[in-house]
Amino acid sequence: MSLLDATGAAFRLLFGGDPELWGIVFVSLKVALLGLALAAPLGVVLGYLLAMHRFPGRRTLVVLTQSLLAFPTVVVGLVLYMLLSRQGPLGSFALLFTQDAMILGQAILAFPILVAYTLSAVQGADPRAHETAVSLGARPLRAALTTLNETRFAVLAGVINGFGRAISEVGCALMIGGNIAGVTRNITTAIALETSKGEFAQGIALGMVLVVLALGVNVAMAVLQGEGGMK
Amino acid sequence: MTSLLKLQRLRKSYGERRLLDLDGLEIETGHAYAVTGGNGAGKSTLLRILAGLEPGEIAGFGFRGVPLTHGRLPDDVRHDIVYVHQHPYLFHTSVAHNIGYGLAARGVHGTERGRLVEEAIAWAGVGHLRGAPPAKLSGGEKQRVALARAKVLKPRLFLLDEPTASLDGEARGQVIALIRQLVQDNSSLLIACHDRELIELPGMRRFHLESGRLLEA
Repeated sequence: MSLLDATGAAFRLLFGGDPELWGIVFVSLKVALLGLALAAPLGVVLGYLLAMHRFPGRRTLVVLTQSLLAFPTVVVGLVLYMLLSRQGPLGSFALLFTQDAMILGQAILAFPILVAYTLSAVQGADPRAHETAVSLGARPLRAALTTLNETRFAVLAGVINGFGRAISEVGCALMIGGNIAGVTRNITTAIALETSKGEFAQGIALGMVLVVLALGVNVAMAVLQGEGGMK
Repeated sequence: MTSLLKLQRLRKSYGERRLLDLDGLEIETGHAYAVTGGNGAGKSTLLRILAGLEPGEIAGFGFRGVPLTHGRLPDDVRHDIVYVHQHPYLFHTSVAHNIGYGLAARGVHGTERGRLVEEAIAWAGVGHLRGAPPAKLSGGEKQRVALARAKVLKPRLFLLDEPTASLDGEARGQVIALIRQLVQDNSSLLIACHDRELIELPGMRRFHLESGRLLEA
């Protein structure tokens, strides 16, 4: 099949409402969004604490988080595989090759991005924002929420970037999801599989969905950065 | 005379440099005080320490006759002191939300908060700014909103840091008029300032900071 034929077939799959293809897209979105939902509160809280407080081990945590940013996704997958496999310490939970394992993996991948963006946003925030909240009588939680609200565009940029990493990674999803059709097969693992089989149509169709999602993420980032600049 | 705030021995150093070395400071209820001194004399730092925003070495700190361990002020005392920055920070919400922020932090909600916010808006003459993004307000407008945001809380002590610095003309006059009203209402104020018109407001007492020492002028 020529590239042109494959592209034509890809469009037919996309617009013909192919249930297998859209099922794969659904798995991708579900896993990435739930992973993000798991990572976002923890990442934002840790980023805020690292930015606002000095405590023993803070520097180590910052360096560790920054290192995680550059961790290859396949290494995260490998570590999780060893933890979740039957002989591993978490083997009794029987999570390997499930969507839950993929959610955990994508949460781990998104987490350092959320921490780094929040840390940078809060550190770069005008210190008068927090001082004003405190001086007006806000308790620590309210003052923290106010400060985060004042830096919301930068924090949200972290959330969007975290989603971008989760939806587009392949190594971790492949290792701990196992690419099981109808269960753990997502966009990236399906593209890898279909391409290796020489079935380009579905790969191209899924690639187009991924590109549209990536574009959407970047447009959202640009809009947010524009909004932030309007402050 | 009723003592509102009494401080014994306050020191503040940055590295080797001692910025403040005060034997004591006493503020009486219902009086306004101007703290004068050259640039870098420590006026703002003194106010920030009193507001609990900066640490300082303090031998004794009493508020309304009750001795306190400075550094972690109890809520009721924190709620009694409001500090206003030289260049006030307004949250990126709305003018009304900014003015109601401290009320919300104190658990005042609903129609009561709305009523108090409206009163404060009218007092500061900022009703026409209701729909304006706070970040777009001028320096004088921000200062008036910040004064309304402080006044609505009815604090026992206002700490105002150079409220008319970098203002001139009408904006400065409007801010001075609001502070004059606070002084006339027998609010307790401690104002770091250079502005002669503020220093010479009727009833204003004066401290002068020099070489880290506080001199009653």
